[in-house]
Amino acid sequence: MATADVAIIGAGLAGLATAVRLAEHGARVVVLAQGNGAIHWAGGPIDVAVAPGVDTPAAAVGRLASNPAHPYAVLADDVPHALGWFGSLVAEGDLPHAGSPGDPFRALPTGIGGTRPVAIVPNGQAAILRPWDPGERLVVVGPAGFKDFWPLAIAASLRRPSVWGGLDRPERVEGVSVELPGLAARRNLNALRIADLFDDPAWRRPALEAIARAVDATGSGPLRVGLPAVVGCRDHGAALRGALEVVDRPIVELPLVPPGIPGIRLYGLLRDALRARGGRLLLGEPVVRVETDGRRVLSVATSAAARSYVIRVGSLVLATGGIAGGGLVGDPDGRIVETVLGLPAEGPPIDRWMTGDPLDPGSMPIALAGVRTDGELRPVDPADPGAGPVFDNVRVVGGLLAGQRSLAERCGDGIALASAWRAAASIATGGGGAVGTAAAVPAPGGSR
Amino acid sequence: MTIAALVDQALDESVGLSTDECLKCNICNTVCPVARVDDRFPGPKYVGPQAQRFRLAAPVPVNLDGRRVHSPDVTVDWCSGCGWCTTACPAGVKIAEVNSRARASIRAGRRPRLRDWMIGQTDLLGRLGAPFAPLANWAFRNRPIRALIELTIGIHRKAPLPVYAGRPFRSRFRRRGGRVGRPGEPVLPPPDRAVVYFHGCAANYYEPHVADAAIAVLERNGFEVIAPPQVCCGLPLISNGLYGQARGQARQNLDVLAEYARQGYRIVGTSTSCTHTLKAEYDEMLDLHDEDARVVAEATWDICEFLVDLHEQGRLDTRFGRLDEDLPYHAPCQLRSHGIGLPAMDLFELVPGLRAVDMDHDCCGIAGTYGLKREKYEIAMRVGADLFRKIEASGATETACDSETCRWQIASATGTTVRHPVEILAAAYAAGDRAATAH
Repeated sequence: MATADVAIIGAGLAGLATAVRLAEHGARVVVLAQGNGAIHWAGGPIDVAVAPGVDTPAAAVGRLASNPAHPYAVLADDVPHALGWFGSLVAEGDLPHAGSPGDPFRALPTGIGGTRPVAIVPNGQAAILRPWDPGERLVVVGPAGFKDFWPLAIAASLRRPSVWGGLDRPERVEGVSVELPGLAARRNLNALRIADLFDDPAWRRPALEAIARAVDATGSGPLRVGLPAVVGCRDHGAALRGALEVVDRPIVELPLVPPGIPGIRLYGLLRDALRARGGRLLLGEPVVRVETDGRRVLSVATSAAARSYVIRVGSLVLATGGIAGGGLVGDPDGRIVETVLGLPAEGPPIDRWMTGDPLDPGSMPIALAGVRTDGELRPVDPADPGAGPVFDNVRVVGGLLAGQRSLAERCGDGIALASAWRAAASIATGGGGAVGTAAAVPAPGGSR
Repeated sequence: MTIAALVDQALDESVGLSTDECLKCNICNTVCPVARVDDRFPGPKYVGPQAQRFRLAAPVPVNLDGRRVHSPDVTVDWCSGCGWCTTACPAGVKIAEVNSRARASIRAGRRPRLRDWMIGQTDLLGRLGAPFAPLANWAFRNRPIRALIELTIGIHRKAPLPVYAGRPFRSRFRRRGGRVGRPGEPVLPPPDRAVVYFHGCAANYYEPHVADAAIAVLERNGFEVIAPPQVCCGLPLISNGLYGQARGQARQNLDVLAEYARQGYRIVGTSTSCTHTLKAEYDEMLDLHDEDARVVAEATWDICEFLVDLHEQGRLDTRFGRLDEDLPYHAPCQLRSHGIGLPAMDLFELVPGLRAVDMDHDCCGIAGTYGLKREKYEIAMRVGADLFRKIEASGATETACDSETCRWQIASATGTTVRHPVEILAAAYAAGDRAATAH
């Protein structure tokens, strides 16, 4: 058995951010996860919030926070701090982001020919934050044979004004398919393999020159180049600088269907940041048992070969996600239960889990399901929220928090980061947690 | 059908049926070290959950002409079995296990390729080679001979073959009066003062110094070591799809080990691969679900896991001396499959002066016997390339790693000396003793 000041369950954005932040506070942390989280599908933008009739994420946060049941009712004040911290962290890891929650929404085109409203994006997408000039074109360029990105179809879709959701858009959109070196002989290429190629300076140069020639062949005048979000993965910073230099035009990386390279870059950055701060990440270790004394969690046990692996903890952070992430399950009787501790969760009655058009994210009240917490993000019983926390040393972060509709409100990343910030501060200041408990036994964390 | 038979069937199918949980999310494809370096392997999602639907539909697949085909996707043979896909899957699909079974079904009923049969026979190779260690070692380092071996058998000429140590560990252990668990042995010490040591083939034939270090560390902590009769755990056979023979070897081991396990003895191994086979693969791969397999699995411990557990109980002697060195550490894939964290790193923290750094690299490439093969050697070297670069850049002369084939691969690729963590601990105890004497 090992010991940790804090165990964080879940390796998505909320879990990893909480772990990194706690490690910065000096805690010995271990992240335990069944597998890799949805961060591997992420397309790049940091979704803080949208709401009808408002034109910045900050205003949308304010709108959502006015609903006392929404996580932002508790977390709104943490959003600027959390985003500021996140901004420094990613800049330090050569993955700087641009934009801020006070900036107006822009429409970022995607690899399926749609758009999404964004205000904070990684540098590879920063060129979309500037308004389109009159006469300026978007040229979508894709590698021939890459089955997840069809530039002609994407351009055809983006030429429909309705796709841009009423936001600023380019006057013209064109699609160009370009042969990149060596790809004709390679089938079954997924986005990550092409991103790996962009990491290689020797391959990158002629490929970018081919892209530049294809762009030039579309004519002169102001334009931005839309590329699939595959411009490097582990060495994205250098790949993007190379692309900007060779193509010599503003570049926008379009998010793709999974796997999401921008998300994988962010995951790698957070993993490295955690290790550099002495934290440990253990994958393939779903939690199977938790020992408590009724008020506090004492240890967690993960599934291991032939037995379980037990870690004694000072505090526990649940970053397991909502229904889609596996942090909640609904049973056939309509009960919604949190999966690690069996915490009581709140949610709509079973006959209202889905209403209306099932493909409309706004029509799924089940998304509101989650764990209700106090201001320190400690879980409370939704039937009796005034009775105080169910466990003193447990915090809930991210998609597991009740009252959000992260698909419809596009608030998942903002809530993940703000709750990570709040939970870490709460544990570090001793709010029920026990950072710095005497660790007389080896604790996860690696050599420091 | 009896209930017991139904339960058996459900257990047998728990690996294959886990593919029902697949969301097709592609995460496994993004973590696969082989797909990362070679297009011929389309990735675990395609040969695992996707092809598995066809395998489940027809246990003996036939093509449109009604002729038997062995697998809907033979590219599964490029899978190295490192297990990263299973580790990363957020839905709990046992992808690597599905692939291993598919590989076995491709081979089933066919005579195995000589090379694949041969590299599965680690015990036989050890027994044959040990008496002629100098000759065998010379031959394995002789370039024309290795070229000939590559041509005739298919083991790559540069593949990291181990060095025979001469007299095997067991024979030396017996000679110096060690307990080898034969009938008629004197009364055994109680289970809290003795452990059963599963040394595996590597410590027996190639790295007896690892066994010596393990025994020194265990004895230092008050445990007598029993090394009962044992054969290869069977993993090299499982990796090469030879399940039948692997089951036979598993039975031989279980017959002996189960008796000790029932008496409460813990079985401690220095090879994370062997101990994982005892813990999990007899059950998941070889379908051995009986009482013997269960008690042995539950009694088996990786040695670092065992030592961390001792420390938790306050029983570990922590009088380690100072080892002032940088120590890159590679966690083998098999260790990750144990799901026990990084116990070697926990132990290294107890050694004053030791600056151990987890290299955090997915796989060294060798994956047991995979990287030895002519057609797979280059893949294995590319899989491990970043790890080798990081180790070289560290400037360290020693590296630590828990699994033998990984040690040989890393040593061959980097030129550093690669030690089992327990060797580092034994050295730290020795340093502590020297310091105490000097005072």
